[in-house]
Amino acid sequence: MLTRRALLQSTASGFGYLAFAALAHEAAAQEGKALGPLSPKSPQFPARAKRVIFLCMDGGPSHVDTFDYKPKLVTDDGQEYSKGGLSGAKLLAPTTKFMQHGQSGLWMSDLFPEVAKHADEICLLRGMHTDVPAHPQALVQMHCGIFQFPRPSLGAWVLYGLGTENQNLPGFVTLSPPLNNGGPANYGSQFLPAIYQGTKIGSGAGIGSSVRSGGDLTQLSNIKNSRRSTAAQRTQLDFVQSLNRNRLEKNEVNPGVEGVIESYELAFRMQAELPKLLDLSAETQETQALYGIGGGQTDNFGKQCLLARRMVEAGVRFVEVTHSGWDQHRSLREDLATNCLTVDRPIAALLADLKGRDLLKDTLVIWGGEFGRTPTAQNGNGRDHNNKGYTLWMAGGGVKGGLSYGATDDYGFEAVDGKVHVHDWHATILHLLGLDHEKLTYRHAGREMRLTDTKGTVVKGILG
Amino acid sequence: MYRFLPAAGLLAGCLTVWAISVAAQDTPLRGRDPADIFRHFDANGDKKLSKDEFVKLAERNARLKANVDLMLRRLDANKDGFLTLEEYSQLTKLQGARLPMPPVPAQEATSKSADGFVETPTPEQVTFFEKKIRPVLVGQCYSCHSAEAEKLKGGLLLDSRDGLRTGGDSGPIIVPGSPEKSLLIESLRHTDDGLKMPPKQKLPAAVVADFEEWVKIGAPDPRGVRADDGKTASERAIDIEKGRQFWAFQPPKRSAPPDVKDETWAETGVDRFLLAALEANGLKPVADADPRTLLRRLHLDLIGLPPTPEEVEEFVSDYESSIGSPHSAIERAVDGLLASSHFGERWGRHWLDVARFAESSGKAVNYTYPHAWRYRDYVIASFNADKPYDQFIREQLAGDLMPASDPKLTADRLVATGFLALGQRVLIERDRIQFEMDQADEQIDTVTQAFLGITAACARCHDHKYDPIPQTDYYALAGIFRSTETCYGTIRQFQARRPADLLELPKGTPVALPMLTLPERAKLVAQRDELQKQFDRLPKSEDVRRLQLESRIIALDARLNLYEKDGTPKPLAMGVREHGRTVNSPRYVRGETDKPGEIVPRGVLQVVGANPPKVTAGSGRKELADWIASKDNPLTARVIVNRVWLHLFGRGLVPTPDNFGAVGQPPTHPQLLDALAVEFMEDGWSVKRLIRRLVLTHAYRLGSQFDSENYEADPDNALVWRSASRRLDAEVVRDSILAVSGLLDRIPPQGSDVARSGDGPAARLTATLSGRGMTDPGDTHRSIYLPVLRDNLPEALTLFDGADANTVVAERPSTTVPAQGLFLLNNPMVMRAADAAAEQLLTDTTSENDRVRQAYLRFYARPPAEQELAAAQRFLDDYTRQLATDNVPRSRHDREAWAAFCQALFASAEFLYRN
Repeated sequence: MLTRRALLQSTASGFGYLAFAALAHEAAAQEGKALGPLSPKSPQFPARAKRVIFLCMDGGPSHVDTFDYKPKLVTDDGQEYSKGGLSGAKLLAPTTKFMQHGQSGLWMSDLFPEVAKHADEICLLRGMHTDVPAHPQALVQMHCGIFQFPRPSLGAWVLYGLGTENQNLPGFVTLSPPLNNGGPANYGSQFLPAIYQGTKIGSGAGIGSSVRSGGDLTQLSNIKNSRRSTAAQRTQLDFVQSLNRNRLEKNEVNPGVEGVIESYELAFRMQAELPKLLDLSAETQETQALYGIGGGQTDNFGKQCLLARRMVEAGVRFVEVTHSGWDQHRSLREDLATNCLTVDRPIAALLADLKGRDLLKDTLVIWGGEFGRTPTAQNGNGRDHNNKGYTLWMAGGGVKGGLSYGATDDYGFEAVDGKVHVHDWHATILHLLGLDHEKLTYRHAGREMRLTDTKGTVVKGILG
Repeated sequence: MYRFLPAAGLLAGCLTVWAISVAAQDTPLRGRDPADIFRHFDANGDKKLSKDEFVKLAERNARLKANVDLMLRRLDANKDGFLTLEEYSQLTKLQGARLPMPPVPAQEATSKSADGFVETPTPEQVTFFEKKIRPVLVGQCYSCHSAEAEKLKGGLLLDSRDGLRTGGDSGPIIVPGSPEKSLLIESLRHTDDGLKMPPKQKLPAAVVADFEEWVKIGAPDPRGVRADDGKTASERAIDIEKGRQFWAFQPPKRSAPPDVKDETWAETGVDRFLLAALEANGLKPVADADPRTLLRRLHLDLIGLPPTPEEVEEFVSDYESSIGSPHSAIERAVDGLLASSHFGERWGRHWLDVARFAESSGKAVNYTYPHAWRYRDYVIASFNADKPYDQFIREQLAGDLMPASDPKLTADRLVATGFLALGQRVLIERDRIQFEMDQADEQIDTVTQAFLGITAACARCHDHKYDPIPQTDYYALAGIFRSTETCYGTIRQFQARRPADLLELPKGTPVALPMLTLPERAKLVAQRDELQKQFDRLPKSEDVRRLQLESRIIALDARLNLYEKDGTPKPLAMGVREHGRTVNSPRYVRGETDKPGEIVPRGVLQVVGANPPKVTAGSGRKELADWIASKDNPLTARVIVNRVWLHLFGRGLVPTPDNFGAVGQPPTHPQLLDALAVEFMEDGWSVKRLIRRLVLTHAYRLGSQFDSENYEADPDNALVWRSASRRLDAEVVRDSILAVSGLLDRIPPQGSDVARSGDGPAARLTATLSGRGMTDPGDTHRSIYLPVLRDNLPEALTLFDGADANTVVAERPSTTVPAQGLFLLNNPMVMRAADAAAEQLLTDTTSENDRVRQAYLRFYARPPAEQELAAAQRFLDDYTRQLATDNVPRSRHDREAWAAFCQALFASAEFLYRN
C-alpha cells in the first residue's frame, strides 16, 4: 500500500494529482485503473438499463386525448363538471377514438398509430402527478426534482453516477432544449462538477413559439475550426500542451493545469467524432425513411430521434430530445393532431430501430411532458394545465411492456390509483439504472443532496 | 384556468389589508373552535350575533375593533344585520387561525386542567400509559415526532407531555374526553386519506382502542413537562439566547497579533496571525514570488487586466532598486491600481455576483429589465469612490429614505435600491399573494445572504433547521418587504402578468437612449393608433388575434412611455419605495399562502445583535438597513472582510463565504478575521484601505510553488503557505484576450444593449445577444458591460463559470471542460483577437526572437527562457511547414503562423491562470 507521501514523491512530475485522486477513488482502487470523472463506473447494484433516451414533450401534452382512455369522458361530453378549480367548466370528449393494441390490449388513441404498434413494449404510467400546474416550475421539477432551488438535472445525476462509455463524446447530450421554462437549468449540473452538465446541440423553441417545430438542429458551437486543417490544429495544440506541461513541471501538483490538458484532448477528439455522429448520411435510405426523414412534417424530429439512437449506440449515457409546443389551451384538435403526427413516426422508428439492434432491452426510453391537461374544455377547443393526474410512458430498459400502471378518476382529472409523483418517477429511473436514489448523493452546502430531495419511492410494480 | 391556491388565496387577496393585520396584543387562541367563541359572545343565546354583541367580541382585537363596521358588513352575507355562526366563521378565513378569544374562566381545582387534560394521573393511569401508550409512541411515532427525530414532521413532538398536548402545525391533536374530535385518533384510524398515522401501516384495532380509551379519560401522561412551557413545539425548538453563543453571532473581538518565531518574515499584523498558525502546524511559507509574477497578480486581482510590458519593466526596476525592502515599489503600484477607474469594474463585478445582478426577470417568462444597467454603474462608481461599506448597505436597502442634498445624490440613492428590485421573478404567476410572498422571499434570501452570510430564507416553511432563526423571524422580515413597493417595470404581455412601476429619477439624470425625434414619435403614435383601430374592429370571438394586437399595442405604449412628449428620454430606474400600506405578515404554515397563522410584527432576526430594532412606523427598511450597517451587527463586517480575503487569497478565512451559520465552516483564523473586521469598521468601512492592507502583507507576495511537506499537511492551502494558483474569472479571461491583442475599448459604454432593446421577452434578444462577447466584433467593451440576460449569459462568460444571475454567488465554481478548449481553439472572435495580436507583433518588431520575447511580455508579463524561445521557433517552423502542406499561399504564412502562436498562448494555462 502506497502512502500519500510516497505517492506524491513517486509521481512528482506531471499527472501526479490525477493518479493520486484516482487511487483515492475507492471504486477505481478496486478495479485497479485510473479514472477520470467521465469514466464508466459500476452501478450500485445490477442494472436493467444502461442508458437513457428521454423524449421530452415540453408544454404538457393532453393525456386524455392520447394515452389515458376515459370512456366516460366520451359519454359525458359537454356536461358541466365541478371539481377542484374546474367548477362550471364543460367536459370535452377526446379528440379521436381510442383502440386496444397488441397482445396486451393497451388502450391508446388514434393520434399515435405508429407508437401503438409497440404497445407491448410500452409501460403507461397513468397515475402521474406533480406539484404545480405551471410550465416553468413543472418542467424544472420534471428535470431537477424540485423547482424552488437550483438543482442538478436528471441527466447530470445519471452521468455523475455512471460515467459514460465513450470518452470522445460528452456523456449527456440534450437536443433542442427549450430556451424558456428554466432553459439551461433543465440540463445543468449546478453543484455537481461542470463536466456532468448536458451538452446542448441545437436550440429549441422560445417564447411565443407556437406548435410544430422541435427546434433547429444546428452544430455545437465552436466544434469546427473555420480556417485550420486538422493537422495544423494538432500542431498548434501540441504546442499548447507543451506550454502546459512546462507549467506543470514548475508546479508539480496542479489539478487545474492537468484538467486543462485533459479537457483540451477531449475537445480535440470531440471535433473529430461529434460531427461524424451528427452526419446522418451514414444511415441507409431505409433507416432514414423509417424515421420520417426526407422533408415533411416528421423530418426534423425524425433526425433528432435518429441522432439519439446514434448517440446511445456510440456510448453516450443520457440523451434528451425535446419537442416543444404541447400547450393546447386552444386549437386542441388541430394542433395536437399536428404534434402527434410530427413525433409518432419518429418515436415508433426509434423503438423499432433500438429493438432491431438489440439495444432496447437495456436502453430506457421515457416519454412525457411536465403535466397533463384538464378533461374540461377551455376556449371551446382547448384544455388547461393539469398537474393532478396525467400519463407518462417508458419502454425498454427493464420495464414491463404492455402494462398500464395506475389510474386517474373517471374523467382523467386526478390520479387515484397507483399514484406516481415525479420524485417516485425519478427514483424508478435511477433504480432501473442500478442506482439507489437515496444513495446517489453529493455533498453541497453542508448537506448530502440527491435528485429526489427527501422523497421518492421506487415503483416496483413496473419493473420487468 | 387554475389558480395555485383557489378559494383562500382569492379571499386573502381581496382582503389582505385586513387579513394580515391583527395586532400583537391578541391573546393567543390556538385551535379554539369558532363555535365556542360565537356561543360565548352570543349573550342572549339567539344563535345570532347582534351588532352590539359583535362589538363586544371585537373589543378583544385592536384591528377588528378599528374595522368593526366594515367587517360586520363583509361578514353579514344576507344583510340582515346579524351574524349567524356560518357567517361569523368566515372571519377565520379572512384572518387566519386567530380569532378573538373569550376570557379564560377561572381554573377549577380538579385533577383536570382547564382544557380537560388529566393533570395528576392516578397510579392506574400511569400503568395504563406506560403499558399501552408509551411503547407505541416510542416504537411507532418517535422516529418522526421527537426531539431526536432525524426530521421532525409536522412540527409535532410526542416525546413530552407538553408536545403531545400542544400539537403540531395543524393544531392540537387531542381533545381530552372526545376521541371522535381528536386528530390523533382520526389519524390512527386511517379513515382520512390525507391523514394516516403511522403512514405506512395501520396499527392493530386493539392498539387504536387503547388510544381511544386513553383520550377519553383525559390523556393522562406522567412524563415531564419542559421548562419553557406555553410555547408551540416549533417555537421551543429554537433557543435564541443559546443560539447567540455561536461564534458568528458573538461580536468580533480585537486581539493583538500573536508572537511568532520568525520575526523577520512577518511584516504586518496579518502576517503574524498567519505565520503563528503556520508555525503551530510546523509549516514554513514558500519563497516570495518574483516581481513580474507579483505585478501580474496585483493587476489581475485589483483591476482585472494584465499589466503592459512597460508597466512590468517600470515596476521591476523600481522593485529592484528599492534598498532593503521592495515595499515602496509595491505601495506605488498598489496605489496606482486602487486609483484606476478599472478598479470599480473589477470589484464592482464581485459585488454584482453577490447582488445576483441581471437585466431580465428569468424564470418562466423571461422579460427584460432595460433599466438595470443603472444599478451596475452605481456599483462600479461606488467601488471607485471607495464609498464606506456601511453607507453602501444603507443606500441599497433604504436609499429612497435617506436625505439627499442634490438631484444627483437623490438619483444615486434611488438607483441603489435597485438591489432589491432586480431579482428573478415568476411574471406568469396568477396568484397575487403567492407572487408577493415569492418576491419577499427572494429579497429576504438575497439580503440575508449578501450582507449577513446566512440563509434566513430557509425559515419560510419551518424554523431554520440549523440556525437559530425561528419561522416567525422570517415573517418579521417578510412584513418589511410586503410594506415595500418593488418597482421593477416590465410590460403586461402574453404570459407576463405582473408588470410594476419604475422609479422616475430627477430631471437631468443621464440616460441610455438617444432623443426620440418628433417624426419618429409621430410614427410610433400613428402605428399605435392604427393597431388600436384594428383591435376595436375585431369581434370578441377573435380572441387570439385580439391578444396579439393588444400585445403589440402594449409594447408600443411601453416604448412611447420611455420618452417625454418632446422626445426626451425619461430617466427611469428600478428600485423600491414605501408601499401605500404598512402591514405585518402572518406566518404561513409550511409556507403555504392559504394557511395563514399568527400575525408577526415587522422586525429583524432576533439572534443577530444584542438590540434588534423595533419597527414602529413605515416599512422598516430604514431600521433593517441600520441594523445591518451597524458596528453592533456581528456578521456584517466579518462577511465583507471574508469576501475581500477570498478574492485576494483564493479561499475565505471562513471557507463557506455564503454560510456563516451552523452548516458553514468555522474560520481557519478566527482572531485574524475578527481583527480585520474590527479594524475595517474603525477605519470607516473603507474597502480600498482593507484591500491595501491585505495586498501589502508578506503573505500576499508568496510564490505559488509546490512544496510536498506543506502540501501533505495542508493540501487546501488553508493556512496560506503559498499563493493559490487559480483560473482567471470569466470576465478577466475575455478582457485579457482583448487587452493583449489591443482590441479592448476601455471607455465604459452608456447604458447597455438591453436598455437599447427596450421592454419585451428576453428570448427575442438572445439570438443576437447570447453570442455576444466574443463573436460580435463590435463589442469590445469590458465584460462587465455585456448584457446579462438570466439563463442566457454570453457564451464567453458561461463557458468560464460566469456568475449564475439567479442566486447570490459568493464564490464562483471553477470548472475545466472541453467546451472551453473548443472556444479557445475555434471561436472566431478568439481567432480575430489572435490576428490582431499577431499583427501588432509583426508591426512592432523585426526579428523572430524579439517577436516571441514581446509576445511573452504582453501575454505572460515575463520574458521567455532560452528553451522557450527555441520551442517557439520550432513551433513556428512546424506550423509553417504544415501551412505549405495545406496549400496556404506563402504570402499568408507569417500572419497565419504568428496568429496560431498568439492563439496558443491564449489557450495556455499560464495565460488563463493567476499565480
